[in-house]
Amino acid sequence: MDNAIYSGRDVVEFSIWDVLRNLLLAARWTVALSLITFAAGGLVAIILVLIRNRTDRWGKHVVVLYVQLFQGTPLLMQLFLAYFGLSALGFQISAWGAASLALTLYCSAFLSEIWHGCIQAVSKGQWEASACLALNWAEQMRYIILPQAIKLAIPPTVGFMVQAVKATALASVIGFIELTKAGTMIANATFKPFMVFSIIGVLYFCLCYPISRYARSLERKMNVR
Amino acid sequence: MSDKPLTSEIVIEAKGLKKFFGSKSVLKGIDLTVFQSEVVAIIGRSGSGKSTLLRCLNGLEAFQEGSVRINGAELKTNNAQTLRALRQQIGMIFQSFNLFPHLSVGENLMLAPHLVHKKTKNELSTQAINLLKRVGLEEKFHAFPDELSGGQQQRVAIARALAMGPSILLCDEITSALDPELVSEVLQVVESLAQEGMTLLMVTHEMNFAKKVSHRVIFMHEGRVHEEGSSIDLFTNPKTTELKQFLSSI
Ligand SMILES: Nc1ncnc2c1ncn2[C@@H]1O[C@H](COP(=O)(O)OP(=O)(O)OP(=O)(O)O)[C@@H](O)[C@H]1O
Ligand SMILES: [Mg+2]
Repeated sequence: MDNAIYSGRDVVEFSIWDVLRNLLLAARWTVALSLITFAAGGLVAIILVLIRNRTDRWGKHVVVLYVQLFQGTPLLMQLFLAYFGLSALGFQISAWGAASLALTLYCSAFLSEIWHGCIQAVSKGQWEASACLALNWAEQMRYIILPQAIKLAIPPTVGFMVQAVKATALASVIGFIELTKAGTMIANATFKPFMVFSIIGVLYFCLCYPISRYARSLERKMNVR
Repeated sequence: MSDKPLTSEIVIEAKGLKKFFGSKSVLKGIDLTVFQSEVVAIIGRSGSGKSTLLRCLNGLEAFQEGSVRINGAELKTNNAQTLRALRQQIGMIFQSFNLFPHLSVGENLMLAPHLVHKKTKNELSTQAINLLKRVGLEEKFHAFPDELSGGQQQRVAIARALAMGPSILLCDEITSALDPELVSEVLQVVESLAQEGMTLLMVTHEMNFAKKVSHRVIFMHEGRVHEEGSSIDLFTNPKTTELKQFLSSI
């Protein structure tokens, strides 16, 4: 291998299986980061939606500001701030922790905006009719509003989730070794970037495609009622 | 059916009701008394505050001044507990039906009694079927709202309101969204309710219907009760120029 000799390092021969195995191992971290982001981000989003719906003007403003802040700045910058910013302030945080934190906040902003919109999209008449039947707020939400809002929310939520899986790649900039970062390292070591990044592409596709597929079947199921 | 109702118990009493939207004054001091089993029609130009009045009476809108009593109990729009009690006595039907589209007709009728009155499944379905019979739709129990005509949807909405056992029904232009040929099936149901002694407060543009079933007609103009009286008096012998104009414009 000529390239390997020029690099001045020990010549190591990587088979495609070695590459694949190492990428699959790294993909676990992409999956883990995505899952944490969805779970924690979804939870925070629910809280944000509740605050926005249940409090007076003040709470609404805070949530809107929060959403604008995270939607209006690059995720890359948020990752840098979470990692380097926090440690500059004296909080020791691992790349793993910083990536989870930044992606959770980022996701929560988008998801809360999507879900808030879907709740708003249920007609005011549904609130009024159920109020006139003496339902309280929790009952209105649980039995009337959410069943209709969730149906509306599935496509945009899934669309965003697929984006978020791909966005985890940005965590590589703070040294978190997930699929993309591992791929870069392997590509540098093997001098086969085309093969490595093709495999990475396939792996991301394998993560994202089932999500969209599942969403479509869920949508179909809900349309049948 | 213009005879006065037999009882004289007051079920709705509004005094000095004032409502603003921002700085815009929409209700400018409404005094209104409705007796049990009375049928009252509210007429007036668009924007005169008819809907707003109805919505203040069941707490859908908060008002700024005055008081409302329903069956003797003071309406407090900021108290969820008393609102829940009040809304079991006072039902409302909307122009746009507002059925719950994700629930079948039967479920539309049973949901609120299930949650609020904690009735059993058997009681609920028997009641729902009986109510559907009453509005002539017993075969639609399993249908979904989007499978029904407008007239059928509105009859389901009436049945749904009745399922809570109210003594008062507020109707806001409940036939205005219907094709002309579907209006009468809904009005028939309303008329039968009136005959059974339901207290009805209805905003309507169906003047013939108002004449036929209401004991009293209220003409609203710019946020005030401008003229009121028995339906015969009001329609045949209007006193104010505004009412004369209004009647000649329709
Ligand atoms: N939510 C609202 N916010 C601001 N203004 C409102 C609101 N609802 C009603 N209004 C205003 O209050 C006035 C009275 O409205 P309302 O709906 O009570 O009239 P209406 O007599 O029912 O008219 P229509 O015959 O068109 O239904 C109108 O000028 C309307 O623009
Ligand atoms: Mg109106």
